[in-house]
Amino acid sequence: MINTAFKPRSEILTTTPKFLPSSATFHNFYVAFTQANFLTNLKNSVIVVGATLIIAIALAFFASAAVSRFRFRGRRTILVVIIAVQMLPGGALLIPQFLAFNQMGLLGTYIGLILAYVAAVLPFSIWVMRGFFIALPKELEEAAAVDGAGIWTTLWRILFPLVAPGVIATSVFAFIFAWNEYLTAYVFMKTQSMYTLPVWLASFNVPNQPTDYGAQMAASVLFSLPVVIFFMIIQRRLVTGMSAGAVKG
Amino acid sequence: MTIPTAATAAGEGAAAVTGASRQPRGPRPAASRSRNRAPWLLMSPAMLVMAILTAIPIILLVLISFTNTDQRTLFTGAYDSVGLANYTDIFTDPEFWKSLVRTIVFTAALVGGSVAIGMLLSNLMTRLGTVMRYVLTIAMIFAWAMPNVASSQVWNWLFQPGYGVVNWLLTQLHVFGDMTQTSWANNTWLGFTSIWLLVIWQAVPFIALTLYAAQSQIDPAFYEAARLDGASEWRIYRSITLPFLAPTLTLITILSIIWDFNIFNQIWLLTQGGPDDTTATLGIWTYKTAFVSFEIGVGSAIAVVTTILLMIFTGFYIRRLVRTGEDL
Repeated sequence: MINTAFKPRSEILTTTPKFLPSSATFHNFYVAFTQANFLTNLKNSVIVVGATLIIAIALAFFASAAVSRFRFRGRRTILVVIIAVQMLPGGALLIPQFLAFNQMGLLGTYIGLILAYVAAVLPFSIWVMRGFFIALPKELEEAAAVDGAGIWTTLWRILFPLVAPGVIATSVFAFIFAWNEYLTAYVFMKTQSMYTLPVWLASFNVPNQPTDYGAQMAASVLFSLPVVIFFMIIQRRLVTGMSAGAVKG
Repeated sequence: MTIPTAATAAGEGAAAVTGASRQPRGPRPAASRSRNRAPWLLMSPAMLVMAILTAIPIILLVLISFTNTDQRTLFTGAYDSVGLANYTDIFTDPEFWKSLVRTIVFTAALVGGSVAIGMLLSNLMTRLGTVMRYVLTIAMIFAWAMPNVASSQVWNWLFQPGYGVVNWLLTQLHVFGDMTQTSWANNTWLGFTSIWLLVIWQAVPFIALTLYAAQSQIDPAFYEAARLDGASEWRIYRSITLPFLAPTLTLITILSIIWDFNIFNQIWLLTQGGPDDTTATLGIWTYKTAFVSFEIGVGSAIAVVTTILLMIFTGFYIRRLVRTGEDL
């Protein structure tokens, strides 16, 4: 059983050196980098993921403040809807979005993919950030209200700095999702120059040519690196956050 | 959707009561009114986005499932209503029942395997020294963090006929004969096995780490008392550890069911549902119907059926959350 956790990993880490002599190790990365479209597709990924993060996190911040710092009628219903939406199967949103975006000419554009990602990321961002808001004591706002602060001042001056770690953790979650997302990008982006990195990686096998596995492994490593680093950063949060139903598989 | 709403309805009254008691009454009516409006104001942008990008598409999906939308529609916009024909089509299609059974069996195998291995690992972690535990944790985080598109590529390479590492290792064992030329993706059982291994490998870390976190919360005094009474290790695990882990285990199992039911990338990238669609789960089948043969109407109907099945599990999950004291 330790094997299951250990063996494949150690094999992955040895793949590149094992397959080629050590002197040529960096050649794989060079091939991966200069592979047609790598930089273009990297740029696509950065634009789409960046825009998704900014929009989704800003919206999620306000929404999660609303569902955690206020008690109002319909609040529980909204929370249940948020969990339910998060559990929708991928295909369920993909088909109607594909048709609607096709009508609006948004297929194959950044905007289309960004909108689809915002829709996917928003529910769990609200959910995760809500967890951070709940941890703050109620007295904070009461004290602020006594001092005559309005709701906006309270939100910006008092709550925002305190949930900043939560905002960062949520951004990392959203980043990992959007960076790794394959199916939507694969369906929406049909020209190579608009591919994001996961699609690029999956289409690494050039037709009619023997696959360059060394370069493919190097590409996998390059692609995984940011995610693994971020994962290390938020690892502790993940366990608690995910068990509370935070993340879409 | 009916189950979650029913679950909330029960607690709605209680929430309204606490809500009322928290409202400052009398002295500051103006502030109170703006406090009532504020949450809706804060929420409206996100709700608007969710309505446009999630609610409307779901309604669209249901509508599309009653039409014969196909490739032609993409260009001309023309489609006809076909009533329930898509649904009768899929329910009479033996392929639907096969892939439904396949999905359920495969999900069960994945959930069972990953939860069992996760429990073993978390139990092991409580017995390891600090250094070994740290090494194991890091290894698991690596496996967990790896994007599944990347890990699928690694798997493709490991299981490559001709010079794949796994084939070579199995051949060296001299148990199965010469495996070097075996193509895992071209055989239903081998295909499922390699997908199963890949998914389990990436699912176990979350389960093991979560269970370990729960397990390390158990008061050691219980164990000391049990040992004094001469209980066997197995008995201790069953009577002390398991009851403590039960709520966490239930949540993990339900989440795993939902996630494993939805597995797409790994299957698609390893076998594309082949050979002859024998590794195609509902997700793969939906994708193939809607985006390979472009029978979008039929694909939508399959997606609706899948969504309803998943919503049943989600209902259980939400009820569990409410019951384990999560304050909604």
